[in-house]
Amino acid sequence: MDLDQIRKILELMESNKLIEFEYESEGTRIKLRRPDDRAPAAVVIPQPVIAAPLVSPPAPARADNVFEFKSPLVGTFYRAPRPDADPFVNVGDEVNADKVLCIVEAMKMMNEIKAEMCGIVRDILVKNGQAVEFGEPLFLIEKK
Amino acid sequence: MFSRILIANRGEIALRILRACKELGIDTVVVYSEADRNAIYLKHADYAVCIGPGPSAKSYLDISRIISAAEISDVDAIHPGYGFLSENPHFAEVCQSCNITFIGPPPEATRVAGDKVAARDLARKLKIPTIPGSEAALRDEKEAVEIARKIGYPVILKAAGGGGGRGMRVSHNDVSLVNNFLAAQAEAQAAFKNSTIYIEKFVERARHVEIQLLADKEGNILHLGERDCTIQRRFQKLIEESPSPIMTPALRKDMGNSAIAFAKGAKYVNAGTCEFLVDERGKFYFIEMNSRIQVEHPVTEMVTGIDLIKEQIRIAAGEKLKISQKDVQLQGAAIECRINAENPNNGFKPVPGKITSLVIPGGPGVRFDSHIYPGYEIPSHYDSMVGKLIVHRKDRDTAVSAMRQALSEFVIEGVPTTIPFHRAVMDHTQFIRGQVDTTFVESYFGR
Repeated sequence: MDLDQIRKILELMESNKLIEFEYESEGTRIKLRRPDDRAPAAVVIPQPVIAAPLVSPPAPARADNVFEFKSPLVGTFYRAPRPDADPFVNVGDEVNADKVLCIVEAMKMMNEIKAEMCGIVRDILVKNGQAVEFGEPLFLIEKK
Repeated sequence: MFSRILIANRGEIALRILRACKELGIDTVVVYSEADRNAIYLKHADYAVCIGPGPSAKSYLDISRIISAAEISDVDAIHPGYGFLSENPHFAEVCQSCNITFIGPPPEATRVAGDKVAARDLARKLKIPTIPGSEAALRDEKEAVEIARKIGYPVILKAAGGGGGRGMRVSHNDVSLVNNFLAAQAEAQAAFKNSTIYIEKFVERARHVEIQLLADKEGNILHLGERDCTIQRRFQKLIEESPSPIMTPALRKDMGNSAIAFAKGAKYVNAGTCEFLVDERGKFYFIEMNSRIQVEHPVTEMVTGIDLIKEQIRIAAGEKLKISQKDVQLQGAAIECRINAENPNNGFKPVPGKITSLVIPGGPGVRFDSHIYPGYEIPSHYDSMVGKLIVHRKDRDTAVSAMRQALSEFVIEGVPTTIPFHRAVMDHTQFIRGQVDTTFVESYFGR
């Protein structure tokens, strides 16, 4: 095996987040391994109204460039600036870095949450008025 | 009584508070940072809310995140535990303004206790003995030297804004005092955002003896005896016990009454602790008051049979204390060893890591307050304490033997711990005789 081949293998490992790669020859035999990222079985959180589960159900197969936009704050999620106003974004809308996606209200302060990325809103994962915690996925945005 | 409490803390104290709430039939909401997403107590809470990333400044110390979590989970009270926001009067005020009961003292009492200079001042006014030293914050190193020469070296510089050993420097002469002055100021500024320091005579062969207090909202205050916390390293406690080997009924009465007088003067409510130094001649001096539940509270729980966390919750809910001073009896002797993920052979350096193997000692009167489990990853963002081992026996000698036995059964692998250090102390003649002072660890166990 020459250096070039080894480099290609390293690229393959990196782009697929592999931590192990075996290889035999004549009889062929490959073995690839990703890091084990299951949460420990011991921690299973009940599903109360306000908290997201720690052990999430297996994520639906997402295209590589679809990004889960997570809440940077704890609070209440609102889709629009006021109850009677139009939502900031709808599914299919194009967004750029400065586009406000939603409000997360924390301690009576209406925090405008910006997209900070360019893309198209593919899904809205929480309901208007729902309590959200830090890190909770709010939107699916397809990166451009 | 409260129907739902938010626990604004982590680790063993979060689990401790959760247990008390469960027994009282109160719903629990636990907040956690991303670094604590595998905490074992999350699954026992009725609700768990992730409030931020690992670093405390953006999670456990962030008032707006804690209050947001409290609002969306609709709690009536918050228990702050110890450390973090437990002695932050601003946090207590924010809780008040949001109509959430803060389980602890009123902000004004926290301010008095939290400002060590003001606390000394109050103690002096109440004729409680204090260590000779500055009557106000030090203006500069010149004033420090003036006072040091008056009261006599050695002296200790301390931070007005906090404790835990930070901002504390001992000096034996003018030169080191001047050098230490700036260093102490810088440390205090970094730790407490308050560079104010004061000076006291350094009592060299002292014992650290503190009095546990409970005060209800109707002004009833009682003390639950003492804890001797003389075994310290760099002013951080390692081993605590009750009763104190040097205590006499007369001294306990005097110290208890002083502590109660201070609490009354500070208009204190809920659980708190007055710390004293006792010198070689058995004279006691007030140092400071801690306006929170303390790490070592289980020691008092074992000898008095009183659940201090439940009492905190009851007091905060407006209940009157059901016990009176004469009901308080110290039965037997209890010792606590703080088990930290630190290497005692390498300057007690904290070592985060994964616990690969865990065998916890047991038997009658053996208690381990901890959140760890096999496979647990100790996060690097927080303190290194992994648990507290407490034993309770009918007297001190058998308690020391019981602790020796319990420590020998204790297995924690994957990280170094202070278990070997504690085993060495339990075998040490001076400790066995109950004849130690605050220089013990330094003298016999290096730095």
